[in-house]
Amino acid sequence: MASLMSKSWALALAVGLGVAAAGGALAHDDKMPANANAATKAAYARHENFEKLGASFKGLNDELRKPAPDKAVVAANAKTMNALVGALPTWFPRGSGVEARPMSEAKAGIWTDAAGFTAAATAARTEVAKLNASAAAGDLEAVKAQVRPVGGTCKGCHEKYRQEKKG
Amino acid sequence: MAEPSAAVRVKLWDGPVRIVHWLLVVLIAFSWWSSGDHLNWHRWSGYAIIGLVLFRIYWGFAGGGAARFASFVKGPRAIAAYAATVGKRDVSTTPGHNPLGALSVLALLAVLLVQVGTGLFVVDIDAFEGGPLSDRVSYDVGRAMAEVHELSFRGLQALVALHLVAIAFYAVWKRTNLVGAMITGKRSLPSDPGLTGAPVWRLIAGVVLAAAIAWVLSKGLRL
Repeated sequence: MASLMSKSWALALAVGLGVAAAGGALAHDDKMPANANAATKAAYARHENFEKLGASFKGLNDELRKPAPDKAVVAANAKTMNALVGALPTWFPRGSGVEARPMSEAKAGIWTDAAGFTAAATAARTEVAKLNASAAAGDLEAVKAQVRPVGGTCKGCHEKYRQEKKG
Repeated sequence: MAEPSAAVRVKLWDGPVRIVHWLLVVLIAFSWWSSGDHLNWHRWSGYAIIGLVLFRIYWGFAGGGAARFASFVKGPRAIAAYAATVGKRDVSTTPGHNPLGALSVLALLAVLLVQVGTGLFVVDIDAFEGGPLSDRVSYDVGRAMAEVHELSFRGLQALVALHLVAIAFYAVWKRTNLVGAMITGKRSLPSDPGLTGAPVWRLIAGVVLAAAIAWVLSKGLRL
């Protein structure tokens, strides 16, 4: 009976792990096709850039949560963010949305509402520039106060112009 | 609800099982609601769920009566035998979880563990919000955790839906009131199954242990 009972346990655990594995597979990004055209390449490059942007903001936030944050780490991450956000409007050439990469999270509104998108990108640039200035000056309190406005511009733009990826 | 005529009222579900059950109902719903724009509350709800799930697993081994896994987790033959009779239109008399329902209990606990386990490491798309252990993983891993977190919630929703369908089926088809038993702890059964409770010190030990683990996790393993 004990071994039969362990089979039931295994079955129930398999449900949990199956769900987790399926999630892992879903989370895995697709590979760029070898013969990708310029728009497709731009879609993949954009994804890489956003991952770098996310990683640098995460690095900054993680550092700030430490008991004694390293100012150099904060400054380096802010500098990376500033450079990336400055270039952000160039990551969206026309035609580089889902038509270029089905998994793309870019909404059509980026191009149909170009003025709105540019305004959102400019807002992010303005807030990140403030963050970078404070970080470069080593003013951690000012950096801490600025992470929320920065996060707000990320979120604001994502809510309007980003969709959940398909497939 | 009709009950067998020669029924005895039996104490089936102890206080801890009922409290854990109803708190999970409230907190899972609350976590769902707060996942959008109230991530601070979402985190606290998650820590509470970690404590509840850990306690329930502990209680499955250290608790008494119908709470013990050993009392209701059965092998495939017993499950098949019960499944063959489940369609019969008679009042259910299993003193606790039936062999089929046991699978649902284990699956719910497993999915909840995946849910809170991934939640600890989640990083949100803006890299601004995250679980208490998100600083231990990269942005990529944290994002992958977020996707598993979302997908396992779909699994949890499906299991909860199945749970509700089963309750309705027992109520309507088998004329067995399962909800009342989970509220009062009592069921009418043909005979007393002779369930014995666990000593209070085990309950206290489990509560302290589960709360301590949830607390340490909520602090990102930093004390």
